[in-house]
Amino acid sequence: MRLRAYLVAAVLAATLPTIAAAQDRARGEQLAAGRCTACHGENGRSQMEGIPSLAGQQPLFIVTQMILMREGIRQVPPMVPFVEGIADQDVEDLAAYYASLTAGPAEDRSPRDAALAAKGEAQMATRHCTVCHLPTLHGREQIPRITGQREEFLAHTLAAYRDGTRVGADPQMNDAVRGMPDADIAALAHYLAHRD
Amino acid sequence: MKVKSILLGLAAALLAAPALAQAPAVPGWAIGRPEGSTLAPHAPRLTVTPLEQVPVGQVRLPAGFHAEVYAHGMPGARMMTEGPGGTVFVGTRAIGRVYAVSKNADGTTRTRVIAQGLTQPNGVVMVGTSLYVFAVNRVLRYDNIEQHLDAVPTPVELGSAFGLPTAEEHGGNHHWKFTILGPDGRIYTNVGAPCNVCEFDRSRFALLVSFKTDGSDRRVEAQGIRNSVGMAHHPVTRALWATTNARDWAGDDWPQDTLHHIRRPGQDIGFPFCSTGQSDPQFNAGRNCADFARPEAELGTHTAALGMRFYTGTMFPESYRNAIFIARHGSWNRNRLVAFDVVVARPDANGNIVGGVEEFMTGFRDDAAQRFSDRPTDVHMMRDGSMLVSGEQAGALYRITYRR
Repeated sequence: MRLRAYLVAAVLAATLPTIAAAQDRARGEQLAAGRCTACHGENGRSQMEGIPSLAGQQPLFIVTQMILMREGIRQVPPMVPFVEGIADQDVEDLAAYYASLTAGPAEDRSPRDAALAAKGEAQMATRHCTVCHLPTLHGREQIPRITGQREEFLAHTLAAYRDGTRVGADPQMNDAVRGMPDADIAALAHYLAHRD
Repeated sequence: MKVKSILLGLAAALLAAPALAQAPAVPGWAIGRPEGSTLAPHAPRLTVTPLEQVPVGQVRLPAGFHAEVYAHGMPGARMMTEGPGGTVFVGTRAIGRVYAVSKNADGTTRTRVIAQGLTQPNGVVMVGTSLYVFAVNRVLRYDNIEQHLDAVPTPVELGSAFGLPTAEEHGGNHHWKFTILGPDGRIYTNVGAPCNVCEFDRSRFALLVSFKTDGSDRRVEAQGIRNSVGMAHHPVTRALWATTNARDWAGDDWPQDTLHHIRRPGQDIGFPFCSTGQSDPQFNAGRNCADFARPEAELGTHTAALGMRFYTGTMFPESYRNAIFIARHGSWNRNRLVAFDVVVARPDANGNIVGGVEEFMTGFRDDAAQRFSDRPTDVHMMRDGSMLVSGEQAGALYRITYRR
C-alpha cells in the first residue's frame, strides 16, 4: 500500500511541468508571521473554529486558492485584506512554507466516534474521494490534502461546494458532493478529521 | 495487457452507470479510467512565469523562422483576438481574466487585465470595435474597448439572448468556449459534450453553432463534434473548418483528435457513436459509421488540438499561404506525452489536406524526462504577417517571424 503510494507519487512527479518557480520557504515563513499565523496557527495547525489548517498542504493548492481569492472568484470575506493585490511571488513563498510544515490534527480535536467514522468511510467510496485526492488523501498538485484538517472546516467546505457557494478552479468538487445530505457530510468530515 | 485494462475500465464505467441516480459518478475526466492508472489532467499554472523562465530558447522552427517573446506575465493565456487598433485580447480559463496586450511606441508591449473574476472566459472575439467575451453561458460585450483600456466600462450582458448551456448543464465538462466572427458577420462558437463520452441530447451539446451578433437566430453548423476549441473560415472558400478533441480512456492510441471541413451546415461528425469512421467501443449504439463525415486530417491521439487559424499574410514563404496552423496543447490521457507544439495542414482547392500534417513549432516537450515547459493553446495572425502563439503554462505570447 505504502509502496504503491510512493510509486504513484513518483509517476506524477515525472510528468510535472519543468517550469518550477523559485520558491522561498524562509521568505514565506517571514510573510506568514503575525499575518497568517494569527488565525491559521503558529505551526500551520489551526486552533480556531472555521479556520483551516495549512500545514503539509499541497503548495499548488494553496497557490491556486489564494489566486482565486485575490481574483474574486472564490469569495472569503475575512481573507480579502490579506489577498488583495498580493504578489504572485508572495503567494508561492507562503505556499512553499506551509507545504514544508508537518500536517497533524487540531489540539481541540473531538474524540473519535467509531460508528460515525464508519459511516464517513462508507461515503469515501460513494463519493470517489480517492480518484483525485489519492488513496493517501494527501492530494496532488492543485488537489488538496484532506487529512490533518479541522472537522468543522471540512463539513463547512463540503456544504459550501454542495450549495454552490464555493467554487474551485473547476466544478469537480461541486459535482462530487451534489445533493449530499448534511448527515453524510458530518460523517465524512468526522472520518477525515481522524485520518492522518 | 493494455486491451485488458481498457476493457476493465470500460466494464467499471458500465457498472457504475446504473448507480448514477443515487450516487455521484467519479469526476468527468476520470470516468472509464482503468484500475491503477495515474493519468490525470495537468494542473494549470495561475502565477506569473518570470521572463527569464519563459522557454522561448527551447523553441524549434523550420529554417528562416524566428521566435521571440511578444508579451509575458499573463498566467493562463489562451485564446486571442485583435482589435482594429492592434490590441490583442487574450482569454483564460481558471484565473478568470481577460488580458489586453497593446503596443508601445518603442515596439515593446504593455499588458493590462481588462476583466477578472469571470468563470472560464476562454472565448474572445472582436466584432468591429466591440470585444465579445464568452464565459461559459455569459456573453459580455465591451464597446469601443480599445478606447477604454485603463477604465473599462461595465459590459453589456447578452447571455440570455445567446441561451448557451450553463456549466452545471454541462456536468462540469467542456463548457468553455472558442469564439470567432465568420465572414457572414455571425458569431461562431462551440458547445462541448457534457461528459468524456456518454449518451446525451445531441441537439444541445457537441455542436458548432452560430448566432447573429445580438444572440438571435441560432443555427447548428455541425453536430456530433465532441469538443471543438478551434475553428476558422477558409479565406478563399469561406467554408468552416474546425479541430476537435476525441474521447479519453480508450487507450493511448485511439481515437485521433481530428481536423474537419464542414462541407454543409449541420454536418454530423458522429460523436459519441463513431470516430474517424470507426465504432466507439461503448457508445456505437448500432450506428453505421459510414453515415458520418470523416475528418480531413488526423491530428494524433490525445494531442488536444485547440486553436487553429489560416495563414493569410505574406511574411511567411508562399507554401504557407492559406495553410492551417493548429496549436496542439499536449496530452495528459496518454502514458507518453505527445504534441505540446504547433502543426501545419495545407488544404488544396477541393478542401482536402495534402501532404499530411507537419510539425512547425516544437521544443516544449522533453521526451526523455517526460516533461513539458509550455502548452501552445492558440495561434493568431498579425497584420504584418507574423504569427502569435499563446503559451498557457508559461503565460506568454510568442511571436513567430520569417526572414529569408
